[in-house]
Amino acid sequence: MVGIKDLRKINFVDELPDNILEKIVEVAQLETFDEETILIRQDQSQHLIYMLVSGKIYLNCRAATGKALTLDELGPGQTFGLSSLLDNSPSTYTAICAEDSEVITIASAQLLQLFKSDYATGYKVMERVVERFKARMNRHTQLFMAALATHPAISSVSESETLEE
Amino acid sequence: MVKIEDLKRINMLNGVPDHLLEIVSREAQLNIYGTGTQLFSVGDKIDTFYLMIMGQVALKVALNPDIDVILDNLQSGRSFGSSALIEGSIASYTAVCQEPCEVITIYGPRLQELFKENQELAYHFMTGVAGQYKRTMDKRSEMILKTLEERPDLRHGIQDISQLTPSY
Repeated sequence: MVGIKDLRKINFVDELPDNILEKIVEVAQLETFDEETILIRQDQSQHLIYMLVSGKIYLNCRAATGKALTLDELGPGQTFGLSSLLDNSPSTYTAICAEDSEVITIASAQLLQLFKSDYATGYKVMERVVERFKARMNRHTQLFMAALATHPAISSVSESETLEE
Repeated sequence: MVKIEDLKRINMLNGVPDHLLEIVSREAQLNIYGTGTQLFSVGDKIDTFYLMIMGQVALKVALNPDIDVILDNLQSGRSFGSSALIEGSIASYTAVCQEPCEVITIYGPRLQELFKENQELAYHFMTGVAGQYKRTMDKRSEMILKTLEERPDLRHGIQDISQLTPSY
């Protein structure tokens, strides 16, 4: 049984008002997963949203060349799987429990059903999704630009232009 | 005012019911911009949401004083400036018309008012924007990972690789 207090520990929903959390609680489950349990497999469609209450989860990605990358290590309070609210596109990563983990899971279909019967809740949650996606994308761009700035080809272009001046 | 048929050409409005598009159409305007028109630049407070009907708009950021990086070239059906739907947002890129463009614009604060009056509209709109962000993020993450694969040395320039993942 998930309580509002549990959801208040999750960054993604911690600022939503009680009346919305009460509705989300009704479609949420608290589950415990053993170490090495695979929650999401890369390239397979995902149907659940995961909110980590305790434990640790790795997000891994296998590139087209077959090379594996561990992209992230998630701790309590973090959420993943929000994309399942938007489409049935396959996951871009594999999520695996790095240790025994307690996770709130929500079936995206049930949440979408809730949104369609209560647009105010749907709007507030989707607004959070947009804010998070926007912040994440800006961060992606900043990091990539910072890395690009160190590229030797970029440096040489800048240097040659400086020389021409 | 614009025609509903024009709004239906916009990807993020796919699935929005006609009665809601009617409301949006009354608040929207069709504009034509010449090549080189700068619609907004990095750091500007965005108060307009843009929906592309024709033409091409480049979204770019300055890497240094000599080099601009084009993050995306948007064409018919795409939208941008969704920060206008979130109070107090500023632009994280510069938007410039690469050719003559036909663009529907909607005043952001007016849309925010409509969202307060009509939560069904607000929900559908936000879902559309989230979907667009997801598609762009996926595309950009793929681009970044591909680049890192080809140039592993660039990875050292990214201090926090974990920030590339879709978690919060």
